[in-house]
Amino acid sequence: MKKLILIAALLASPLFAQVNEKVEVPYVAFPIKMGDGFDAIQTHCLMCHSFGYIINQGRQSKKFWRGKVDKMIVHFKAPMDEAAAKITTDYLFEHYGNGKLE
Amino acid sequence: MERRDFFKKAIVTAGAAAVGTSTLEAGVTTQPIDNRKVSPVAFPEKRPLIMYSDRPPLLETPRDVFTSALTPNDQFFVRWHMPDIPTHIDPDTYTIHVNGLVKNELHISLNDLKTKFEQVEVTAVLQCGGNSRSAFKPIAGGIQWGSGAMGCATWKGVRLKDILHLAGLERDAKWIGFNGSERAAYYETPEFVRELELSELDDHVILAYEMNGEDLPYLNGYPLRLVLPGYYSDSWVKMLSNITVTNEYKKLFFMDVAYRVPDNETESETPEKRYPTTKPIKKMNVKSVIGYPTKDSLVSHKSHVVIRGVAWDDGHGIQDVLISTDGGKTWDKAILDDGKLGRYAYRAFRYPYKPTTFGKVTIMAKAINKIGQEQPFAKDIKWNHGGYKYNGIDEVTVEVV
Repeated sequence: MKKLILIAALLASPLFAQVNEKVEVPYVAFPIKMGDGFDAIQTHCLMCHSFGYIINQGRQSKKFWRGKVDKMIVHFKAPMDEAAAKITTDYLFEHYGNGKLE
Repeated sequence: MERRDFFKKAIVTAGAAAVGTSTLEAGVTTQPIDNRKVSPVAFPEKRPLIMYSDRPPLLETPRDVFTSALTPNDQFFVRWHMPDIPTHIDPDTYTIHVNGLVKNELHISLNDLKTKFEQVEVTAVLQCGGNSRSAFKPIAGGIQWGSGAMGCATWKGVRLKDILHLAGLERDAKWIGFNGSERAAYYETPEFVRELELSELDDHVILAYEMNGEDLPYLNGYPLRLVLPGYYSDSWVKMLSNITVTNEYKKLFFMDVAYRVPDNETESETPEKRYPTTKPIKKMNVKSVIGYPTKDSLVSHKSHVVIRGVAWDDGHGIQDVLISTDGGKTWDKAILDDGKLGRYAYRAFRYPYKPTTFGKVTIMAKAINKIGQEQPFAKDIKWNHGGYKYNGIDEVTVEVV
């Protein structure tokens, strides 16, 4: 029988345990703010990372958030056009911004 | 893999730590944030930790764990970069591949690794380059870690050198690239690869399958990870799948764009004016963290308190840890452990303290290494845009009652 690795937080007996189940990483619903542009966030951001990744960056400038969106497009190859980039940036700045453009 | 796995189990809980509003002062550094709650959600093989993200998993170790030189596996921090981490791993068939500029391409099973090579151990600190990032103001880009994106474990495995020796390096071999099994959502996304120059290789660099005497936890890179003592953890590739030897450096996102600091003496810049050239973060600087007491501790007047914590650097070794309870005016030597875990491990320290005043007292810890490098005051740490390599003197304020 195929040995699979572990898990279950319940598994008190530690390790070496090769249980016949696959790993399940919990899904956590982070308290993301709703508003204009949220659909774009769901479509473009959630594909690769949780909302926790957004919330836990801290409040940032518009330039910062645009930079993050550009990083996703340029380096991580997120398929987003300029319209989508603008909508997501506006959303991020409105809800997780520090009020400063730069 | 099946992304659905991540969504199947809808444990709905507010995650960590929405970061509060900050005051925007140029280049001011303070203490890292130290009020994060442990999440009620436990991840596989982990006790509840401070959680920033479930996908990829980002988990921080609470401060009170740093009272001993070894960090328990189930409290060891977690940081992945890509959303898809294999959820099935068959240890009987798991194989790593060694290729590129080698005379013999190798395909080594876990069993071969454990039986056909010399087995070695090294105790070493694993620390995220962005550990304590929340100290930087204005806020540096990235997850706003407190000081628990780190841990120390005894790693068991096989020397990378022995594997490369068996493969036989071609004459012009110069770089070794490491690839893990985590995958991006899009094929076009660059994989998480690190490269090491051959000259950086020594006997302490190992491929490890055990951590503190147990299989590596899934979230710490089961079944095999690269261990690079003295280096920040972005180089310690998890779930290692492939080693490729090349003669020239291949451009890599994580080494060429992310995880870099200004290439100047102080590794610093201002938010207004970024320094034009950067270099990868590599070796860790000297640092200490107080594990006990914590900010929640009530300490009794004239009682005997033992301040505890850990100190480390990049392998030069810790010479002293000094404690101050008067705001850094006077310092006194803490007692260090015997250091038998080696120069890459935490040195656990302890310091007997009898509070003689009531009210708030701030305890500070400062580590000094064997070549005289010491931690600066937090306020003297210079800013960099990635918020990397923070090593300010640690502070914990407690209430004496």
